[in-house]
Amino acid sequence: MITKLKNILNKSEYWTEIRYHHRQKTSIEVKNGEVNRVEDSTLAGVGIRCLVDGCWGFAATADMSEKALEKAVKEATTAAKVGSSLRKNKIERIAEGEMAQGDYVYTDENDDVELKEKINLFLEAEEFIRAKNDIISGVVNYSKYNDKKIILNSNGAEATIKDIKHDIGVISIGNNGSSQEIGSVSAGVTGGWSDLFADKSLMDMVEESVNIARTKLNAEYTTGGESTVILDPMLVGVLAHEAIGHTVEADFVMSGSIVQDKIGEKVASEKITMIDDGNVEKTAGMTLVDDEGTVAQKTTIIENGILKEYLHNRESAAEFAVIPKGNARAFTYRDEPLVRMTNTYIEEGESSFDEMVSEIDNGYYLKGLGQGGQADANAEFMFGVQEAYKIEDGKITDPVKGITISGQAFEVLNSVDAVGDDLKFALGRGYCGKGQMAKVDAGGPHLRCKVKIGGQQEGDVQ
Amino acid sequence: MDEMKFANKIVEKAKKMNLDDVEVYYNSSKNLDVVWEKGDLQIPKTDLYQGFGIRVFKNGSTGFSSSNIIDEKEGERVLKRAAEIASITPSEESNILPEKSEIEYVEDIVDERNDDIKLVQAVEKGKEFVENFLNYDKRVKLDTANFNTRLNKRVIVNSKGTKASEEKTVFENMAMAFARDGENVSSFDLSFQIACKLADLSLKEEAEDLAKKVVNSLDAEGVESFEGSIILTPFSVLSIIASPISFAVNGENVINDMSPWADKIGDKVAIPELSVVDDAHIAGGVGSRSFDREGVAPKKLDIIKNGKLNSFIHNTYTAHKMDTESTGHAGGGAQSKPGISPSNFIINGGDKSLDEIIADTDKGILVNRFSGNTDPISGDFSGVVKGGKYIENGEIVKSIKGVMIAGNVYELLNQISAMTEKKQFIQNYRLPHIRFEDVSITGE
Repeated sequence: MITKLKNILNKSEYWTEIRYHHRQKTSIEVKNGEVNRVEDSTLAGVGIRCLVDGCWGFAATADMSEKALEKAVKEATTAAKVGSSLRKNKIERIAEGEMAQGDYVYTDENDDVELKEKINLFLEAEEFIRAKNDIISGVVNYSKYNDKKIILNSNGAEATIKDIKHDIGVISIGNNGSSQEIGSVSAGVTGGWSDLFADKSLMDMVEESVNIARTKLNAEYTTGGESTVILDPMLVGVLAHEAIGHTVEADFVMSGSIVQDKIGEKVASEKITMIDDGNVEKTAGMTLVDDEGTVAQKTTIIENGILKEYLHNRESAAEFAVIPKGNARAFTYRDEPLVRMTNTYIEEGESSFDEMVSEIDNGYYLKGLGQGGQADANAEFMFGVQEAYKIEDGKITDPVKGITISGQAFEVLNSVDAVGDDLKFALGRGYCGKGQMAKVDAGGPHLRCKVKIGGQQEGDVQ
Repeated sequence: MDEMKFANKIVEKAKKMNLDDVEVYYNSSKNLDVVWEKGDLQIPKTDLYQGFGIRVFKNGSTGFSSSNIIDEKEGERVLKRAAEIASITPSEESNILPEKSEIEYVEDIVDERNDDIKLVQAVEKGKEFVENFLNYDKRVKLDTANFNTRLNKRVIVNSKGTKASEEKTVFENMAMAFARDGENVSSFDLSFQIACKLADLSLKEEAEDLAKKVVNSLDAEGVESFEGSIILTPFSVLSIIASPISFAVNGENVINDMSPWADKIGDKVAIPELSVVDDAHIAGGVGSRSFDREGVAPKKLDIIKNGKLNSFIHNTYTAHKMDTESTGHAGGGAQSKPGISPSNFIINGGDKSLDEIIADTDKGILVNRFSGNTDPISGDFSGVVKGGKYIENGEIVKSIKGVMIAGNVYELLNQISAMTEKKQFIQNYRLPHIRFEDVSITGE
């Protein structure tokens, strides 16, 4: 295969990138005692990108014959030429990071169980959920992506990349006659089946989701206003990815995001260091080589409160005169690479969780992403919170429900006065949408900060 | 390649495998795509996708597998995989294939000139929109514009004798823009046009309309909170009204206890003037289809008739669960087993023009776009009005910002006071402007 693709590349008259991507996806959904879905899909083909006269052109094909591949190169070339006649800002050069060469295999295909065993495990888990008091409905969702890629380009990239990603979500829906609440727990990894349950076993997830739903059934609504809170690693991850991370993606920076021209400026508390790194092992966003053939390197977005780096693809890195570090990603062979995050996290500090709680007179402990959420290019965000507890006189007390948090993410990071010593990647079954999907992870340690709490939200159900 | 032959061969092979039933669904899509961002052309794209999905049935169990590698050997592998999945999945009596249905083909859903439309023409079309927009006023700014053409082909063959194939072309232009005058920045506004025939898009008019809208929403001011009328544009009707309705009538949500209307067939759910129709047979309709994802021929369906809930939309599985017939709304492509989707989804009952509705409004706002959350289970929505207008004594007084609306969609359906006769086509939806009374509007 690689020889065939190389021949095609060598024949191309212009700068060319050839990306073969074979994906086998397995998905299972068990709901209310029934196997709702068991699917096994193959999606394979080649995405070809050419750069001609300062403009990109892209063509995708699933036909792997030499003739079809040559035709696709021609189509991508034509697309670039047609585009070039209209494009005002011509691409003068693309930056070069470390071009991947050789095999990048991060997978143990043997660490898995038979499909039948998975179905039975999920049926059993789901039955367990519905056997609990006050729980009316249960769902278990599972996906496995088995990816193989070959990436070649005119700058000498020649890499074979293989990895497997598993993710699982467990949902309990509780109803006590007067209200209905959801408890949701999920996990996602790059690696094997056993890695998926390394942190929590399936039964732990079941118990946790049931407990969340039940706790919320008995929780009261609370009033809104600004408050001192402790965010758990999942909410820290959501804040890092959704509210901060997108604003530092170079394409958004160029279209005028809030951090445009702010490199070197203080944007957060000096306690905050924020990273994006495709190399973090086992995480769902692990990307050893990106879809432009660049080897992943750590990007320090914020260092001790100072904005240091944006996230780049090769085009934007050239524009900013920096080195690309592996943030150009495409979801399938049919997608062109875009600037994306991988694993985005806040580095751990020195405070213990108990210490952080004990210093709050009046505040909240907030856990997990609930329903709904959005963030804008100006870093203003609003997220639903799944689980919330009052903190009174240094102790975690009653649960409350229906909470949303909002604010400006950089202001929130500025208000951080304690950073936990317990870094965790916690996005679970996290996907990011930006025209195309991407598997990502995010997290951090517990953070103590100030956010605006919106209370008394009804209808906190999916 | 002859897709029908390919599908047929798999069905014939399956018949020798001691399976009860088999279905092969193929679809292909030839796409041209041109995107402008920040006023400049980005990457022009061409893409040919083909794929097939196989569903097999054995003793009440079902298995599904799919691939986009189109050859005989892969066909056999995928068939075997689907059979293997069926053999390890519990049985469920609603796992059945529909009987063969009489198909009446929809007209005018293919642009005969499609073969002549190459990337050059697509780029030219996109350019026509972008240039007309940017030349209208120097204050207008383009965030994104996307011109897209698709030629779709669908083929279905099953062991119950169903054999059908259909082609459709779709042309779509989408844009997001704003206006800026110094420090004065308008909110984002959208434009969306879609048709099966290229000649039915009016890009110049659409570009000028969008430019007018964003310029007119400069100088927005706040308003005080009040209770009054809201007039939703078709875009806001889609997110606040039409999406929750299509959620509530979706058979999957009904059988899963997610639909608030699960036990409301025959009940009044809206004002008597309101009707909602799903019609798959409209000539030239982008949501039209002669058969659904399972080969069932859809009938024109009254979902809400004179304010009363009349029918859900079903595929074969959900219909069997509820002891009824499929309405021909199996949706989805070859990469997953059938779900449920509406065809042309139409809100009927209006007899006014937008000008008449505004002239007849004492105090209220026009909700150009809605940015917020709508929970289709409870019906609760809350969010921010974008590009809104304040109306007093029958006239638009000013552009507004920082205004929030909240309420419950299922209650709102009984507070409708006027609808336009004219509808806008957004994706497969055909939606009027709708005015509601007694809505709480939160300003500064």
